[in-house]
Amino acid sequence: MPEHALEVEQLVKIYKKRSEAPVRAIDGMNFTVPRGIIFGLLGPNGAGKSTLLRVLTTLTRPTEGTARILGCDVVKKSVEVRKRISSVIQETAAELFLSVKDNLLTYARFQGLDKSAATARAKRLIDEFQLTAETDRKVQDLSGGFRRRVQVAKVFMVETPILFLDEFSTGMDPILKRQVMSLLRAEVEKGRTIILTTQILSEVEELCDDILIINKGKQIARGDLNALKMLSHSVYEITMAFDRLPESIEAELAALNPIRTTIEANTIDVTLKTEEGRVMEIVTGLSRNRRVLRVEVRGASLEDIFVKLTSPHAKTPEKATA
Amino acid sequence: MSSLSAVVYREAKIRATNFTFIFWDLFFPLLYMLVFGVGINSALGAPAGLNGVNYNAFFLAGVLAMASFAIASNTSWSFFMDRDNGIFYEMLTYPMSRSEYLLGKVIFNVFIATVQAALTLVVGRFLLGIHVMWEKLPLLLLGMAVGTAGWFFFYAIFALRIKQNDVFNSVTSIFYFVFMFASSMFYPLDHLPAWFRIAALANPITWQIDFLRYTSIGVGNLPTLLLESAAFIIFALLSFAYAVHCLQRQE
Repeated sequence: MPEHALEVEQLVKIYKKRSEAPVRAIDGMNFTVPRGIIFGLLGPNGAGKSTLLRVLTTLTRPTEGTARILGCDVVKKSVEVRKRISSVIQETAAELFLSVKDNLLTYARFQGLDKSAATARAKRLIDEFQLTAETDRKVQDLSGGFRRRVQVAKVFMVETPILFLDEFSTGMDPILKRQVMSLLRAEVEKGRTIILTTQILSEVEELCDDILIINKGKQIARGDLNALKMLSHSVYEITMAFDRLPESIEAELAALNPIRTTIEANTIDVTLKTEEGRVMEIVTGLSRNRRVLRVEVRGASLEDIFVKLTSPHAKTPEKATA
Repeated sequence: MSSLSAVVYREAKIRATNFTFIFWDLFFPLLYMLVFGVGINSALGAPAGLNGVNYNAFFLAGVLAMASFAIASNTSWSFFMDRDNGIFYEMLTYPMSRSEYLLGKVIFNVFIATVQAALTLVVGRFLLGIHVMWEKLPLLLLGMAVGTAGWFFFYAIFALRIKQNDVFNSVTSIFYFVFMFASSMFYPLDHLPAWFRIAALANPITWQIDFLRYTSIGVGNLPTLLLESAAFIIFALLSFAYAVHCLQRQE
């Protein structure tokens, strides 16, 4: 068994359209992912996450470079790659004319699962995904959220070593999402490798063992949550609630050169890079001659790191890599 | 093999859920035979150029080819449905090659075409009294199979290259008109204007109809049929190769 679940070398994907400038959706990526972890691909819209997943799942051919899944090249051995993966693509994809049960059984058939095992697993997953009442209903008659459940449930029908999830939680309620996250964690404990893309940072914080932040087709930062937080060493998030919002507060916050500022009702939320000793000075300055109801100071969250690294004024990728 | 059977299983499950699919595949061409064919037969009987058979017998091969053509068109349209709901792209990540995916769809099409041909022959023989040459039945079914596959690959090229459903529908409507009317489906070619006759002779559906006419009622010229059959097989193989190419380029 190869050491790495995923190996990406000098990967480039350029989309060319007539009368439009070529777009480098993936621009020279290099990374490997060990087996048996949850690997998060994080980036803003248009960062190249879905394109990368499309290359890795053999949907799209790279323009240059190579990508291997468990040692199999995604172009030269695409069928071998497909035997080793299951994927949930970004769009809600389900067999609309088939019932919930038939969706699962048809998927199992494509994956070569025998009928009795498929039937037993389908029954268990229908329960786990709270689809019991919809078992025999055609998917075209279900809401978007239920369709998504069917789509995600399918990948638990089989035990392919690699699982790709593109924005898997779209349309799921928080309770089901939490349940699916536990299922994902259990799958990893069984030895599967999960590659997921998301824009929901709390999912990444909670699930991922290793994170790659990408932007404009390039790698921006890589590491586990702690390593990434180190990239934002000296970044603090200050929340202050006033009895009423001071008139000059916007100008005062702007003068601090913050990474991010949110003002809502009587509360400000500011993320800035500064020395530890200056944090209390700033809080004191903002509180002067004002009635402060609440003050919170926190270290950087993944969201702060993400905003900092993917903002237009972010540092170069080389400097930001963990 | 298991991926081919999975594609066939999926197609069969989907078709079985909706009566309109079955109607268009199996019964619509039969209605052509029973309404249009019987109408023309009553009006014209056995005019010159039909090689001594009545219109019902002449039109039998046309109905079979029409079914083959329509089944292929209906299945290729399913690429749009699948693309609209995303399952098309997800299926491309399933453990099978692009050619297995297309071949699986074709196997199902051929099965439907065989059932349709059996229905048409039974109705033609027992309802319309057409003298069917049962001894040539295996050859006729081969003609249906190769014909349906060829048309499916041909349509698949357009279904995969065209991204808008309305554009595809316009293209298929034009194809229906051009391919079916500029052929030997509805009338013999001998008395047509030269340009029309040349166009019809160059039309692959004429090649399929001539083969089906020979194998169903024994009318046709063997050397011409051999040439037309070879041409159709080349047409089907080229369409298959290009359809696989188009499928590999889906992004």
